Amino acid sequence: MLFRPGALVAATMLFGLPASAEEIVRISGWGGSEVAVVNGLLTNVLAEKLAEEGIRVKYEPVDGDYSQFIINGLSAGTAPDLFYVDTFWARSVFSAGQAAPVTNDVSGFAANLLTAFTYDGKLYSTPKDFNTLAIHFNKDIFDDAGVGYPSDDDTWTTLQEKLVAVNKSLPEVDGLCVVPEYARFGAFALSTGWSPFDARGKTVLDKRFRRAFDFYTGLVKSGAAVMAADAGHSWTGGCLASERAAVAIEGAWILSALRDSAPNMNLGTVRMPKDPESSKRGNIVFSVGWTVNAASKVSKAAAKVAELLTTEEAQQWVLEQGLALPSRTSLNDNPWLRGGQPEQIASRVVLEGLSDDHVMPYFFGDVGGSWMQPINAALNSVILGEEDANTALLSAQSAFDRMLAK
Amino acid sequence: MSRARSEERSGWLFVLPFTISMMLFFAYAIVRTAYYSFTDFDLFKAPSFVGMSNYTALVSDELFLLALRNTIGFSLIVTTTQTVLALGLAVLVNHAVRARGLIRTVFYLPSIMSSAAMTLIFLWLFQRNGFMTAIVSVVLAYRQHILLFLVGMAALQGALVLNARRSYEGISIFDPLFLLVAAVGALALAASCALAGLLSVFDNNLLISWLNTQRHFLFMPVTLWSVALMNVFTTVPTLMLLFLAGLQSIPSSLYDAAEVDGANAFQRFRHITVPALRPVTFAVVTMGVIGTLQMFDQVAILGDAAPLASRVTLAYYVYENAFPAGASSRIGMASAAALVLGILTIAAVYVQKSVGVKEKGE
Repeated sequence: MLFRPGALVAATMLFGLPASAEEIVRISGWGGSEVAVVNGLLTNVLAEKLAEEGIRVKYEPVDGDYSQFIINGLSAGTAPDLFYVDTFWARSVFSAGQAAPVTNDVSGFAANLLTAFTYDGKLYSTPKDFNTLAIHFNKDIFDDAGVGYPSDDDTWTTLQEKLVAVNKSLPEVDGLCVVPEYARFGAFALSTGWSPFDARGKTVLDKRFRRAFDFYTGLVKSGAAVMAADAGHSWTGGCLASERAAVAIEGAWILSALRDSAPNMNLGTVRMPKDPESSKRGNIVFSVGWTVNAASKVSKAAAKVAELLTTEEAQQWVLEQGLALPSRTSLNDNPWLRGGQPEQIASRVVLEGLSDDHVMPYFFGDVGGSWMQPINAALNSVILGEEDANTALLSAQSAFDRMLAK
Repeated sequence: MSRARSEERSGWLFVLPFTISMMLFFAYAIVRTAYYSFTDFDLFKAPSFVGMSNYTALVSDELFLLALRNTIGFSLIVTTTQTVLALGLAVLVNHAVRARGLIRTVFYLPSIMSSAAMTLIFLWLFQRNGFMTAIVSVVLAYRQHILLFLVGMAALQGALVLNARRSYEGISIFDPLFLLVAAVGALALAASCALAGLLSVFDNNLLISWLNTQRHFLFMPVTLWSVALMNVFTTVPTLMLLFLAGLQSIPSSLYDAAEVDGANAFQRFRHITVPALRPVTFAVVTMGVIGTLQMFDQVAILGDAAPLASRVTLAYYVYENAFPAGASSRIGMASAAALVLGILTIAAVYVQKSVGVKEKGE
């Protein structure tokens, strides 16, 4: 029987099969503004390289509870080959053996981001981007109030004075919308030198913590802030966008929200205020990495996609679109970051937050998010005036003692 | 014989789909849950047998005990309130002579909305400076006006009824025409006194934490009282329809005979309506007990709007253990808690059946 190549090509075309074997890699991340980032990368930056590698990427963004989607998918064997992992819940995936170790060269990435994704001595995620907290403010409100802008030199007290002055001058505007959450308060507590876990792995709410706690819970009483919920918002950025508050404490994620809800805002961004006693700054790092599913049948191709999605070229494109901050240190001096546009300034300030004096990842060991509950409950009850600080912190300390004794 | 066999076969075929789904999604799920409750399992590593330790851990977990207490309290309050309110509304709608269909539809409206949408609306209503607070604030500010209106209305109604009874027998204390006249009169009295400056308006700057609070009222967190209010609002209309169907099946001859025998409205309600509605009441109470013991969606949607300890129920505790934020799944604990919830539900229904409302009418 004669071999006829033409017949094979014809058959391939007829049945719509690719002439060469193409590996399909399913990747997943959360929805919202992230969809634009990943789609932009796949179509504008990486299309040719992926084709050269013989890889076709099937992107499946997920709206809703993403971590639950991944945990369910991993346990059922239906999880994507490559997916986002947040430092907050990364441990639950890594410790369960569901992530393949990273084998690519990661020397160009920020060291503290790599540490956040390291478990048992092995790196399991390639950091894709990160965020820290900063003070974002509406310049027009400060101008109208005749109050000086917040600055990088502000301490807690000078910032508080400015916020009180804004509210006094413009009673319909509050200085800040506070949320009773460690995710924002933590930056103040950390700036005092306090650490969530001591050398024995215990949480001790010491005098330094108390100082930050008193300052944060006193913001509402002093007239510098209002509870975000009382202003009809669930986050500090919502108040800033609606001009209900003059400042917000958020990461660079606020930029995409402001782009939609307050595109004409005259935005300014400065670094978190210093603790007036220690003159140090604290911050929390939020980071997301690409993780290869340990059970993936195309793990090599998935690792390649992770590598391509986090190359310097890819991160530069993402940065220049103002979509996320690069996890590669080489991009810290990127000309885009030195620009004078509000988004460029905000990105630069958030990037600088990574080198604040006391920076901790948004991660709480095996205890997970439950660790924050005693602090959140204490913040809430004191801000609402339901308990005094002594009672609330005694109760929080006792909750930590029980929680960490297990 | 062959006909009987054929009928038997047909019968089995009819119940087969339900039997299969029961076996798969109920029997199999219960057996798996029972098995996992004796293991340490995080969804990934193979389950390891740990005996009763999940159950002993439950008993020593403050959050579980809190969830248990909250669930029982919530179930008692909501089941009782919604049953009484649904019955009252059904009687009211049943007595409406005109626009009964419209009234029924209006009362039923809250039930057609999704639980998630209703919760989000209530989140807005329950803001510290929101609509519910505004109502309380107005009531407190105008308490003298309201009190005078109520007292005036009661006095006018009493005077009108007593006067009418001198000429005619059988005038009800709630005679609708007299109620209307009394209301108008009382309103005029309150307005006159207000205009004359005899009544004070009390300024208040209320901020009430309906959801975001750790305060308790009686045996339950304030947050769960607010959720109970929300739950009653959305459930009562459906239960009202059940009662309404039951009411319309009671022969009117029974009421006529009782009226001839001299029974008043309350006696007719107590000795005819309530006993005749017993099968419906049994269904309503049973559904109420099961639904409230498994309360999950509304407290889950509340999320960070309320502290965990103030809103945790047993069903939510199960979820918190199955999918803890930022930590590995504790399926063993979740399964043990789920079984406790299941047993509690069965026990509550059995106790209700034994000592509460009976299934059969009198």
